[in-house]
Amino acid sequence: MNSVLDVVLSTGFLAAILRVSTPYVLAALGGLLAERAGVPNIALEGSMLTAACAGALVAGYSGSVWAGAACGIAAGALLTLLLGVLHLHLGADAIIAGIGLNLLASGATAYTVYALLGDKGGTSRLHSGALPSVRLPLIEDIPGLGPVLSGQNLMTWVALAAAPAVAWLLYRARFGFHLRAVGEFPEAARSVGIHVHRVQFLALALSGALAGAAGVFLSMGAVSFFVTGMTAGRGYIALAAVFLGALRPWGVFLAALGFGAAEALSVQLGNLDIPSQLVSAIPYVFTLLALAFFARRRLVKESV
Amino acid sequence: MTPTVKTLVNAEPEGRSAFLAARRTSTAVELTMTVLTVAVAVLIAFLVILATGKDASGALGALLTGPLDRTPRIGRWLADATTLSLLGLSVAIPFRARQISLGAEGQVYAGALAGALVAIHVPLPPVAAVLVPLGAAALAGAALGAVPGVMKARLGANEIVATLMLNAVVVRVFDYLLTDHLRSPASAAIQSDPVRPGSALPLLSDFFGVPLDQANIGLFGMLAVAAAVWFLLARTPLGYRIRMTGSNPEFALYGGIDVPRTIEWSFVIGGALAGLAGAHLALGVYGGLQPDMAGGLAFEGIVVALLARNNPVGVVAAALLYSYLRVGGDVMEQQTDVGSEAVTIIQAVIVLLVTARALPELVKRHLARKEAGR
Repeated sequence: MNSVLDVVLSTGFLAAILRVSTPYVLAALGGLLAERAGVPNIALEGSMLTAACAGALVAGYSGSVWAGAACGIAAGALLTLLLGVLHLHLGADAIIAGIGLNLLASGATAYTVYALLGDKGGTSRLHSGALPSVRLPLIEDIPGLGPVLSGQNLMTWVALAAAPAVAWLLYRARFGFHLRAVGEFPEAARSVGIHVHRVQFLALALSGALAGAAGVFLSMGAVSFFVTGMTAGRGYIALAAVFLGALRPWGVFLAALGFGAAEALSVQLGNLDIPSQLVSAIPYVFTLLALAFFARRRLVKESV
Repeated sequence: MTPTVKTLVNAEPEGRSAFLAARRTSTAVELTMTVLTVAVAVLIAFLVILATGKDASGALGALLTGPLDRTPRIGRWLADATTLSLLGLSVAIPFRARQISLGAEGQVYAGALAGALVAIHVPLPPVAAVLVPLGAAALAGAALGAVPGVMKARLGANEIVATLMLNAVVVRVFDYLLTDHLRSPASAAIQSDPVRPGSALPLLSDFFGVPLDQANIGLFGMLAVAAAVWFLLARTPLGYRIRMTGSNPEFALYGGIDVPRTIEWSFVIGGALAGLAGAHLALGVYGGLQPDMAGGLAFEGIVVALLARNNPVGVVAAALLYSYLRVGGDVMEQQTDVGSEAVTIIQAVIVLLVTARALPELVKRHLARKEAGR
């Protein structure tokens, strides 16, 4: 047990939590924006995958990681805009269209990589590079916190900044007010002159861009190449974090950190004699329990 | 055309034949739409392959004729369609009650695990050796379906999140049990001991004398299940309750239907069918347990159900079509330099076209504009 505690309390492990949580935090905050605007975004997974692929490919061929990151984020946003067109204009069910888009993303990315590079596995032969890690001189010197934050990838910093940014956007900005109004009662929002579809499209674009940033982190931060299917269900987990976080920015942020922590722990425990699969299942069990608990509490509240 | 007293009085005989005629037309229209949708999707894939500078006609030729080229491929097609049909049927039932259950993936693994455990370790007399594992698999799937069902029906928990979380848990537990406890010491790869010979689903090759790969009598079992699901939905009180709950839950409630109980049953029955799909994989296709043995089949089952608009007979047809494309995609990849992922693109386009109802909507708008212009 001592060794487990040693692992958990080390700064290296705390840094690993931040690293592993990055894609969850970014994608979950993206999912939150769409959900609050009244459009469930199951296509988070597809946005991440598309962005990871587009980012690595563009970076590899153009030689610029910045061009890659920008194209990746744009590709993620494009996919959710497609969800918007299908759902808002063509009357598609958002869930089923989302599943279809995820399917499209997984097929199109694998097909493109194979067609361009002749490699089914990914883009490892492309040498696309990674986004830089960031060391800030002042923060580096803070005891305890410094070593955890220092040297994290740029996208991890973006993820840390995204939580307050989304909170500000939702609760302080005019657009966020409109967004929440549209999500809660579109007819009422429309009656006071809010452009419901425009707000929803913008929310979806932001949602996809955040999921895109998560994907860019996977292929240009955690590693420096794209692997076919590398999101491995992270988009769905991010979606769960949206609900586990009770549809509030900081709640969603903490839930995403929780999923990241469990994943980091299961990786660390792989070296010890504890089955890593069971450890990595813990957050999902916890989410199920929380889901039942919160649903019951709401039920009790409503019946009073 | 407001109904006058006269038409109302005469509604009985005339109304029924008119209703049947209308239903025939709408079935024909839907069938045409489905064929059109698939054609458009294949056309898009053709253009995509062409755009990447490959031999598109050769690739699509291999895709569309490949599965029928050799009998083992036909067998692979039928075996794949059997699993996929069961999965499609398993989600069609909760979908009919308008419950978006994405839990088939976890239920497949639970079914495979329960079925294989019995089939590997319990010696049973013939017939029972096949039926008992199947029953165990269905029970395991049903039990797993009950969890999100009760959570949704009694607590109002979001069933999408509940089923996704349960999937994540079950897949990990399956992985753990397989690698740490059930792994066969005789094999280098991670896989379980093979099921007892008496418990394996008899292969169709043995009946027909031609090599049909893994196709087995599960195919006929699946057809029976599809018929049973049709009967359940169309001809039984529970089926009526499921359909009413799906089309208008408030009205169902006022009509005296126990909506929560109905929702629970839709999840439980769906889970049992997904469990059977897992048993088909474990006892028929693989003859044991393997990591990641369901692949992405569970999500494709959702697509199949959607494509068939949750109609049991349509599910089987859609699964046959879908599996045909899957097997054809593998042939295409072997024979040409076009990756089998092109098939995933076709499948995705089909889903998007169907759910968007884009085709009829655009056609309707076009016609309306024409009429207005005239």
